[in-house]
Amino acid sequence: MSDRYDLIVIGSGPAGISAAINGVIRNKKVKVFGSRNLSEKVQKAPRVDNYLGFHGITGNELKDVFSQHLEKMQVEITEEKVDAVYALGKYFAITTKDNSYEATSVIVASGVSNKKSLEGENEYLGKGVGYCATCDAPIYKNKKVAIVGYDVHAEEEANFMLDVASEVVYIPLYGQPEKIKDGVNVVLGRPLRIEGNEKAERLVLHNDHIDADGIFILKDSVELDQLVPGVQIEDNHFVVNRKMETNIEGLYAAGDCTGKPYQYLKAAGEGQVAALNAVSFIDNMQ
Amino acid sequence: MKEVMDATFVEEVMNSEQPVLVDFWAPWCGPCKMVTPVMEELDQQYDGKIKVVKVNVDENPEISEALRITSIPTIVLFKEGQPKDAVVGFRPKNDFEKMIDKHL
Repeated sequence: MSDRYDLIVIGSGPAGISAAINGVIRNKKVKVFGSRNLSEKVQKAPRVDNYLGFHGITGNELKDVFSQHLEKMQVEITEEKVDAVYALGKYFAITTKDNSYEATSVIVASGVSNKKSLEGENEYLGKGVGYCATCDAPIYKNKKVAIVGYDVHAEEEANFMLDVASEVVYIPLYGQPEKIKDGVNVVLGRPLRIEGNEKAERLVLHNDHIDADGIFILKDSVELDQLVPGVQIEDNHFVVNRKMETNIEGLYAAGDCTGKPYQYLKAAGEGQVAALNAVSFIDNMQ
Repeated sequence: MKEVMDATFVEEVMNSEQPVLVDFWAPWCGPCKMVTPVMEELDQQYDGKIKVVKVNVDENPEISEALRITSIPTIVLFKEGQPKDAVVGFRPKNDFEKMIDKHL
């Protein structure tokens, strides 16, 4: 069994790092997943006037202040993209592309993604539409599959599917594919919607359509309910209470992913509340 | 947890006197691995009330196709030979408990 962390924080924006710092102050074994640059949104802000204590600071300067704070507290950031958080009852399993981690409690501070689902995507999910081509490959033996790839990592799954399916159509949304196998039919276009009857049957592009038995949508950022299967979501945000608890015991959320307003101080405050409640939860579990 | 095949599905699932929770899975599916321990816990917890079995979709394409399983893991609850409820993807244990309790 892998070493179990007390607390795993997913996201390195203001909510995530505030949560991590408060977890570390309370002597918990903490791991943070995110980016060394912390948050693209913070980094790119031209000027910030509403973060208490910092008037007229640029986003990049604020990021540096955050980084120094983390350094002083010896909080490191693991640069792996979290694919899913599984609530296994007594603990959580957190999986990335290559690794799996365990934690007693989890705080999701993943921000918000503005990528909308395709029309029909949710309706046909599990009825011909999927998010994990490698998982579902055996079902599409000798069938035709269309794969929409939001970033280069999707190419690997398309290549894998080619070993099984009779035909693989790949629609890259990031420009020309780099490592796609010969035999995969690459179609450039913008997907509009998924159509079908009882099952998904067709992916409609702005200038074309592709009939397929299976349609896979492989995104660079995972939707919140894909990230945490079974979590309660409303209007694309986690449903949380005043303690930042979600419907899953031991799982907390903080920052933009819990809803508006999308502000740094609100995020940092929520991260702190989430961390302190997670600490009580962890103490009660031991 | 019992493995059910294309050949034994009717006998084990359709003709079962108890409700049956069927986990459709495949060896290389990551989320399926996460569901397995949850299914095992449910199997013990509901011992005598429901049956919990698994079907490898890779080796049993007929039943998977007949039930239109297009994503795995898919977990289907059968009662009196009919699929009554289904969940696509991993879910925490109490979601399955709710689904089972509704049909007991």
